[in-house]
Order: sequence, then C-alpha cells, then structure tokens
Amino acid sequence: MFAALGDAGRRSLVEAVAARGSATATELAAELPVTRQAVAKQLGALADAGLLHARRAGRETRYEVTPEPLGDAVAWMVSVGAAWDERLAALERSLARRRGV
Amino acid sequence: MELHVERDVVFPAGPDEVWEALTEPGRLEEWFATEVELDAVPGGEGVFRWGDGEERRAIVREADEAERLVLDWEDGGETAIELEPVEEGTRVRVVESTPEFATALALRALAWTAVA
Repeated sequence: MFAALGDAGRRSLVEAVAARGSATATELAAELPVTRQAVAKQLGALADAGLLHARRAGRETRYEVTPEPLGDAVAWMVSVGAAWDERLAALERSLARRRGV
Repeated sequence: MELHVERDVVFPAGPDEVWEALTEPGRLEEWFATEVELDAVPGGEGVFRWGDGEERRAIVREADEAERLVLDWEDGGETAIELEPVEEGTRVRVVESTPEFATALALRALAWTAVA
C-alpha cells in the first residue's frame, strides 16, 4: 500500500496541493482532467479526513496539506516495527539459551 | 484497509520450541513483556505488562499449536504469528495491524484512483 502511495508517476490532489503549498479547486481543476466540482468534492473529503486544512479565501476555499495523519501512520509503523525487531532478537536469544547455544 | 507491520525471520529451533516461547507466560516474559498472563486457547485472555507501566490486554482468537497464534488487542489491533518448519529451523512471520489510521489512508488511496 505504501508502495502505491509513493508511486511518483501518479498525481493526486494531495500531491498537487502540496506542490503548490496551497491551492483552490479552481486552480487544480485547470491542471487536471476533471471538473472543478469533482475536485471541490474530493478536496472536501480530504479535509474531512484531516489530510487537508481548509480556509476561506474570498469566494473560494483554499486548501493546505496537513501531514499529521500520514505522519502518524508512518510513526506507528516505525515504532511498532522497531518494537518487533527488539522482541524477535530477544526471542532468538531466549531460544538459543534453551538450546544451550 | 488496515495499516500493518510485517516481520519474517527464521530461527534455528523447531516449531514446537518456538510455540512454547510464544505461548508460555514464563517464556514470553523473556522476550515480549515484563509480566505476562496468557491462556493460549481460543477465547483465552492475555494481559501483558511492561516495566514502564504500560499494560495491554488481548483475547486469543486463534491458537493452532505450533502453527498459528492470533491475538485481538483491546484497542482493535491484531497480532498474527505464523510458524512454518523450514530446513534451517522455523520461519516466523509476524503481522501486527491497527485500524487506527484506516480512514485517512483509505481516503487518500481513493483520491489517488479518482484523479489518476
């Protein structure tokens, strides 16, 4: 799954917003093969999910990337992965002790 | 969609020896947690305590002797450990997953497919 997220050849709204620092649905729709309404809907869903931060800018809503949710997910993988590396090393020592190695 | 961590290692010990280390509280205290209570049968309870005061509780979902152990954690996470006899000993595959970040990740994946 993370391999798919890292696929540099593909575009996403999150990436497009991140590349600009901030963006509106109109700005993004001008670049992508989708309607402004479709982009606005996706941006709204991404903001609801906490991946984008929305703020009103005149008649439009401007979005910025909030890296926290994915950052937290990566942090979870790193800490749980490190915990298992330690446990498995300790398990190996425990097994070796039993065998008198 | 669930977030998970996977580890795959081979130990120079038989599946029965590894199973003992995975399921007997005294053995688990040598590598998994400081203080362990575990009834390694389906539906059995597990309580794991660490020196820093952390405590995690689980219910045993699956316990196939020397083959597969699955724990359901009270926070919704899951740990599955599979054993497979190999020439060098036992292959141990650990998968720990959490439902915690599922919504954000699913929406992000959705955004990808919708725009691509």
